[in-house]
Amino acid sequence: MNTDGLTTGKDSGAHHLVERWVGRTLRFGVWTSAGLMVAGLLLAWLSAGSLRLPSENPPPGEVFRSLLAGSLDPVTLMFAGLLLLMLTPFLRVLTAAAGFAAEKDRRFVVVALVVFAMLLGELVFSLR
Amino acid sequence: MSTVSFLLLVLGGGVAGTMGAMLGLGGGVFLIPFLALVFGLPMHQAIATSILAVIATSSAGAAMNVERQTVNLRLGMVLEIATVIGAIFGGVTANILSGEVLSRIFAALLLFVSFMMIWRTRSDIDAAAPVINGSFSSSYRDEATDTVVTYSVKRVPVVLVISFIAGNISGLLGVGGGIFKVPAMHMVAGMPMKAATATSNFMIGVTAAASAFIYFAHGHLNPMIVSPAVLGVLGGSFLGVSVNRRIKGSFLPWIFAVVLVLVSIWMFWRTL
Repeated sequence: MNTDGLTTGKDSGAHHLVERWVGRTLRFGVWTSAGLMVAGLLLAWLSAGSLRLPSENPPPGEVFRSLLAGSLDPVTLMFAGLLLLMLTPFLRVLTAAAGFAAEKDRRFVVVALVVFAMLLGELVFSLR
Repeated sequence: MSTVSFLLLVLGGGVAGTMGAMLGLGGGVFLIPFLALVFGLPMHQAIATSILAVIATSSAGAAMNVERQTVNLRLGMVLEIATVIGAIFGGVTANILSGEVLSRIFAALLLFVSFMMIWRTRSDIDAAAPVINGSFSSSYRDEATDTVVTYSVKRVPVVLVISFIAGNISGLLGVGGGIFKVPAMHMVAGMPMKAATATSNFMIGVTAAASAFIYFAHGHLNPMIVSPAVLGVLGGSFLGVSVNRRIKGSFLPWIFAVVLVLVSIWMFWRTL
């Protein structure tokens, strides 16, 4: 792979844009998922004894549907936290692609989308 | 799960995260032995739990480093192509291998990590000459010296190969793989140590996510175990960074290297 001559941005102002977006996405993902896990653990502790774990990990879609329906089931909250944490890198790659697109840096939009396609392929292959 | 088990997981994760951050490693190197040897978790579950912890610590650290410009975002994303491919292969392979085989490979990794820790204290690795006319040029402000460091990198194809190996080990054993990438980016590509460490850490979240769903689909993620362990590691890593600023000394890697060698022997012994 010939990488000679590549630079890391059009100018320093553009740099700040993509890096700010990526930083915010990571922060949102980590702290929201940590919040969901803490909430799930607290509810699990309060409902000690009545907690039942599913025998298999539930499909991610089902977890998020339950959460959006207002479920306060401790296991659902914890699974939602775990899944959001696992999806945070996906969001980070998409955010970077959007940031590179805003900078009109097409070459790195392609790089980010290649990484995203591989992650998505792994997700679909694993959950099929 | 009992309150004692819950507290043990938070505490064990906290200690693993603190020790990892103090040494500039992810928490996985310490978390997996704790979960497998002390907590008695099957090896696949210990690895899966560590992968989630690695995503959390990498993402939290990267959020700060990206905004401080120490991460070379574009180089990191190119190298991620290699780490992701490696991690997918590693994750698939791990779910074919038995827990005993994984324990033995992990024991060997611990020996390698302890060797690298000592080597880093004895080698003059910070003296790598800066690359002037390379690729992926970038700059950041070094807060310690209050100067702007401008650099570029060389031999990217070699670092791509090493990144593939690091990704493979990450997917196979649930560690970040920085122990391979940071020396490669610094010594082979000529990146300043601070940028190499930040860029490697930035890549780890995506690399770990590449194998996370494989472990999830195999049912190795138990939320009652992963949640307290991840929260413990996350808290511990912040504590470790703060402690690291106050404690300076070359004795730390030696102590941890000895601990890792002993853990490696314990882990291997258990499989006999």
